Amino acid sequence: MIFNYIKIAFRSLLKNKGYSFLNIFGLAIGITCASLIFLWVEDELSFNESFAKQDEVYYVPTNQNYEGEWRTFYSTPGPLAQDMLDEIPGIVKATRSSSEERLFAVGDNSITRRGRYADADFLDIFSLKFIEGNREDAFVNPEAIVLTQEIAEQLFGKDEKALGKVVRVSNKDNYLVTGVIENLPKNVSFPFSWVAPFERYSEGAQWMTEYGSNFSDTFVELSPEANFETVDAQVRALIGKKADFTDDYAFLHSIKDWHLRSKFEGGEIVGGRISYVRLFMIIAFIILLIACINFMNLSTARSEKRANEVGVRKAMGSSRSRLITQFISEALILAFIAAVFSVLLLALLLPQFNLIIEKDLSLGLTNPIHIVVLLGIAIICGVFAGLYPAFYLSSFKPVEVLKGLKVTHGSASFIRKGLVVGQFTISIVFIIFTILVYQQIQFAKNRELGYDKDQLLSMRIDRDFIPKFDLIQQELIRTGSVHNATLCNSKILSSGNNGSGFRWKGGTDTEDVLLSFRNVTQSFFETTGMEIIEGRGFSNNVEADSAYVLVSESLAKMMGDENPIGNIISRGEDNMEIIGVVKDYVYGDMFDSSDPVLFLHYPNYARFMFIKTKDGVPVDQALSDIEAVLKKHNPAYPFEYTFVDEAFNAKFKNEQLVGELSQIFAMLAILISCLGLFGLAAYTAEQRSKEIGVRKVLGASVSGIVKLLSKDFLKLVGISILISIPIAWYAAYNWLQDYAYRIEINWWIFVVAGVLAIVIALATVSFQAVKAAIANPVDSLKTE
Amino acid sequence: MIQITDLEKFYRTEEVQTIALNKLSFGVKEGEFVAIMGPSGCGKSTLLNILGLLDDPDGGSFMFNGQEVAGYNERKRSELRKHNIGFVFQSFNLIDELTVFENVELPLIYTGVKPSERKKKVEEVLEKMQIMHRRNHFPQQLSGGQQQRVAVARAVVNNPKLILADEPTGNLDSTNGNEVMDLLIDLNEAGTTIIMVTHSEHDAKYSHRIIRMLDGQKVTENILA
Repeated sequence: MIFNYIKIAFRSLLKNKGYSFLNIFGLAIGITCASLIFLWVEDELSFNESFAKQDEVYYVPTNQNYEGEWRTFYSTPGPLAQDMLDEIPGIVKATRSSSEERLFAVGDNSITRRGRYADADFLDIFSLKFIEGNREDAFVNPEAIVLTQEIAEQLFGKDEKALGKVVRVSNKDNYLVTGVIENLPKNVSFPFSWVAPFERYSEGAQWMTEYGSNFSDTFVELSPEANFETVDAQVRALIGKKADFTDDYAFLHSIKDWHLRSKFEGGEIVGGRISYVRLFMIIAFIILLIACINFMNLSTARSEKRANEVGVRKAMGSSRSRLITQFISEALILAFIAAVFSVLLLALLLPQFNLIIEKDLSLGLTNPIHIVVLLGIAIICGVFAGLYPAFYLSSFKPVEVLKGLKVTHGSASFIRKGLVVGQFTISIVFIIFTILVYQQIQFAKNRELGYDKDQLLSMRIDRDFIPKFDLIQQELIRTGSVHNATLCNSKILSSGNNGSGFRWKGGTDTEDVLLSFRNVTQSFFETTGMEIIEGRGFSNNVEADSAYVLVSESLAKMMGDENPIGNIISRGEDNMEIIGVVKDYVYGDMFDSSDPVLFLHYPNYARFMFIKTKDGVPVDQALSDIEAVLKKHNPAYPFEYTFVDEAFNAKFKNEQLVGELSQIFAMLAILISCLGLFGLAAYTAEQRSKEIGVRKVLGASVSGIVKLLSKDFLKLVGISILISIPIAWYAAYNWLQDYAYRIEINWWIFVVAGVLAIVIALATVSFQAVKAAIANPVDSLKTE
Repeated sequence: MIQITDLEKFYRTEEVQTIALNKLSFGVKEGEFVAIMGPSGCGKSTLLNILGLLDDPDGGSFMFNGQEVAGYNERKRSELRKHNIGFVFQSFNLIDELTVFENVELPLIYTGVKPSERKKKVEEVLEKMQIMHRRNHFPQQLSGGQQQRVAVARAVVNNPKLILADEPTGNLDSTNGNEVMDLLIDLNEAGTTIIMVTHSEHDAKYSHRIIRMLDGQKVTENILA
């Protein structure tokens, strides 16, 4: 029996090629789209899974209270790790850690890589797999370093063993390679290329030994028997016990939540990327739904063609359930063909998709889970899409259909119209959202930043670079390609260092205000284009300036002083006089207002150099000039740089991703919907061919008939527009609430989306309508 | 074999009620060949649908092989139908997507006959209908006469006790029409009961008895043989 179904399904597919194409293509696009999303979701869910101890490993962030608001930071007091190990029985391993970028050199080979300084427990907590050396002995030597295979091969070559060899770090220290570990996969939250003992980093640092400062990260491993709630409560109480002057507290953040649930508000986890995962899962199902709707519509629309078969089969003794099984089987076969087709589409589209989402997803057809999911999608689509047509078609009475009576369409045509409205509603919501996301990104990108990000290079530097800076700066300017250069302790776009405990005259309760500080050179404001709106900048004399600061506009406002110049800001014993006010600039979250900033003339903490190239100088020439100067003074360092404007664009990654994906999904939703509409229009035209013939004989014009045929479909699109507007508005309103700096939702967006939907629908339908209208009426009239 | 008594069937629209069968009564014995004639709209096809258990009467009695079948539900009717009744339609009603062989095989599939036996039976009947050489063709590739022969083959493949033919020659030229009528005669002579609705006096003459209808009622009944 099943062979009979398959046979008839295939023959029916071949016989109705156009219809089959619309159905298979529509479903295949839907399945492809959903599969892409599922691949992305799989990758998102797999983050950090490469680390063996999934139930035991935790990050230990701290919650700190500023101006009555709890804010969460990954940095913790230095002694916390050891104290947790000593005093909380459920914790069996703990490590301090700090993520740093370092320059590595072996002979002429030099590269910069990010890695971690950490205690020996780190190697156990993350179950690092040693290829050379072993975990137990790796950190016995205080000058040890463990490298990943990738960096070891870069430095020592593929065939050489790295174990026991020396590598020069930051052009001043020698480290002994005591282990080589397997490379970490891409999907880890905190990637690192090397691990070295923490003491090497914290050597002699007072702040590492006391509570009150938060500098290092802390990771712990719980014993498998430990109760999370108990241990977490003990962790939360520990800082208070050790330091009664602070109400900071630490807590446990599971490795399983690092990637998807790491957005904190008021000291609590409120979500994170998981909301994108959920959003895109919903979108995947919606796209599949649209594709299934096509199938339902086209199947029921051409029901007259199948009615006779239903009648004959029933007359021959087929029961209704057999017919239902038959029609669902047909839908399943179609869905399977679509699934196979979608594998081809996936292979074609995945590289492009990877570019957009900046991942390295693979089809993984040998992965049984992928096959099962693909088959699962096909089965769900087949059954879901086939169910309604199956029940509808099998309900035909043989007496009526065999007599050649017209099948009455009452409920079916109503449902079909409803489904078209559903499809177009979804498509229009996507269109509106695409426009809104684009607007929001452009809005933030075009906002007044307070500095000039163009032609601005950013370069990481080490401490030995700082004394040479003045000379390098002069030589850079002398090349003619460079406008100016400066040093700073943090990237312009990032939040950098911050701290509290500042006081000022007239301020009440000011100690818990969190201020960002920038340690800069005199040329900072000129190089970056930041504007000093009051007072003056720094002088050339670092010593003389040590008692002076500049403040950002918002800090001046917060101090409540109409004329902040000359006001004193104090921290501990230090008093600093304000000599200038800098116009507010945007950093950190591009959609938010920024914390107040304090500028100090203290380049010794600098970690970055910024170079502004001159207008009109070609980039290549400027870069080669800069490289020549840097190689001369700093031969050990590779010439590595980033452009600030590129880094700026990268800040919009999440929004850009949502924007681009929503654009793709909008286009696909419309494409699938239009395939369905195209099919429906074709069947309507066919059904009404006699009517059209009669009308033409009686004198109807082509345009009149096109209008007649298109009108009904446009009505449906009109209803879709009305339904989609409140849905889109509500969704957009909620989405925008996440951004402090956001656009207003304009009414014209809805108009644009509506007009677009109408134009697309009209273009789709009119093809069939025109075809029907220009057909010779003699042909349609003699068919009866 | 068949006894209908005071059989009634109405068609209702919102405003009008049409009487399709008006207290119709007659009987058909096993092995008989009965032709039903009458103008369009007299209720012939309605009668045939009820006799074929495709439709339900609104009143009266319908005894089939001694069983009252009026009021049977769809499942029971389908069960009775597939084992006892074969249909021949004016417009053949072959399934376009199935080959000649598969069309004829269909009733056997629904009665659960094993594949090997199905093949034997289908080939036998195709041989008999002289259409074996066309077994792998699709309906559209056949002439009207050939299509109707396939339809007859399909109707008889299950050895039904009763064949209901609804204007079996209506879409055929006279040569092909005569061929189909000869097939029906052969079947009848082999013992199958046949009830045929027709407009053609010529075809009706092949039968044993002609029942003439008007407005849902029997008007005359002529016994020919």
